[in-house]
Amino acid sequence: MKHNKLLVKAPLLACLACFLMILSACTTTEIDQFRQSDTEINSDESIVILGRRQGTSHETELDFVECVGDVVASGSDGINVIPETTFLDEMFPFFEPRTAPMRTDHLEQLMSQEIAAQKIAEFGVEYIVWLDGLTQRSGESGSISCAVGPGGGGCFGFGTWTDDSNFEAEIWDMDTLTSAGAISADANGQSYLPAIILPIPLIARVESNVCSGMGQQLKSFLNGSV
Amino acid sequence: MIGSKLDLKQLFSRFRIPALIFLCFVFASCSSVNTITIQGSYPSPLVSQLPLTLGVVYDNIFSDYSFTEVDEYSGEDQYVINSGASQVALFNTILPAVFNEVVYLNNADDAVNYPDLDMIFKPAIEEFQIGLPQKTRLDVYEIWVKYNMSLTAPNGNTIADWVMTAYGKAPQSTFGSVDDGVNEAAIEAFRDLAATFSLGLTSIPEVNNWLQMNNVL
Repeated sequence: MKHNKLLVKAPLLACLACFLMILSACTTTEIDQFRQSDTEINSDESIVILGRRQGTSHETELDFVECVGDVVASGSDGINVIPETTFLDEMFPFFEPRTAPMRTDHLEQLMSQEIAAQKIAEFGVEYIVWLDGLTQRSGESGSISCAVGPGGGGCFGFGTWTDDSNFEAEIWDMDTLTSAGAISADANGQSYLPAIILPIPLIARVESNVCSGMGQQLKSFLNGSV
Repeated sequence: MIGSKLDLKQLFSRFRIPALIFLCFVFASCSSVNTITIQGSYPSPLVSQLPLTLGVVYDNIFSDYSFTEVDEYSGEDQYVINSGASQVALFNTILPAVFNEVVYLNNADDAVNYPDLDMIFKPAIEEFQIGLPQKTRLDVYEIWVKYNMSLTAPNGNTIADWVMTAYGKAPQSTFGSVDDGVNEAAIEAFRDLAATFSLGLTSIPEVNNWLQMNNVL
């Protein structure tokens, strides 16, 4: 009898799992690349990935910068990435929001200062990558209500929202003090939160998809393979 | 019965002070004022050192600086932000990197005991503002500080007196609690001050003139 019940439930559970997977995978990611010069990086050279934090409306999150750095450093073709906070502290005060170079001609001015150029050389920084962007949430709708009573509790309802991530990476070549190119990554995805007694979050992994896509593309770009 | 009353009296007198301390603790923890003490470390700036001996005076107003944010609806104190110690730590990191030698003075009159002093520096806070997401409707904690910096010769003559502002922000999404968000925004603001101070000191016209007159630049 128990065996029969399991046989009946198995396709239902499989359908539910498929449904959840389809829903949770509703993310579209688009990566664009613009190359201005050839790039190459040796195993003894490093890069640093910095978040732009000059804007009043947003600032690139530390977690996102760290995530992209982890992707770039991973794998057999991984590149040495200097942690952002280490670089900012060691190069202080040259890369703070109010003092950081915004354009490559500002970078030239900075590198004309012996004290800054010497420190960059000590780090073995071949490329500086500036990450700028944010994830915005919109289209929030639906409602979920929860209640607790003496016999137990539960939630009922449905919520949905859209996450939209837009990030751009600008790559500066520290040998030529010019821009080597740029990579942009856009992604959006719909998340759902149905609640039947228990809330079941079906979250679109928008920012993590952008991080992964951006990191892989950046690694290929710097290795000169794309 | 009498014995038990005496026991109660003795018990009360024995535990009166601990009970009062306990009650004070309970009332204090129920109070709505949240005290935030800014804590952080600051990197030493990478700048060329000036071959000068600087005397520094932190007065009590500066070293014990505290800002109180008042609730606009109730009119009661909402947050007390103690930043004095952290700002002293900041200047104690910047100044030895910018000047060849730094001497810490109790007050300006103390300068007579140090004949090698070239100038005396005294920072002061003129304004302190805080932006909380629940009030500004922005997704960031913000700190803005206006400073008045004073540089005098050991004889008391003014070399330069100028205003500097510092701004720092911390995203609400990264720092969930108000304490952490305000602390991070304050550290960002103090780093901002340290960056502009250490890079811009010699560009302040009065300071630049003095340095050129004394063949330092």
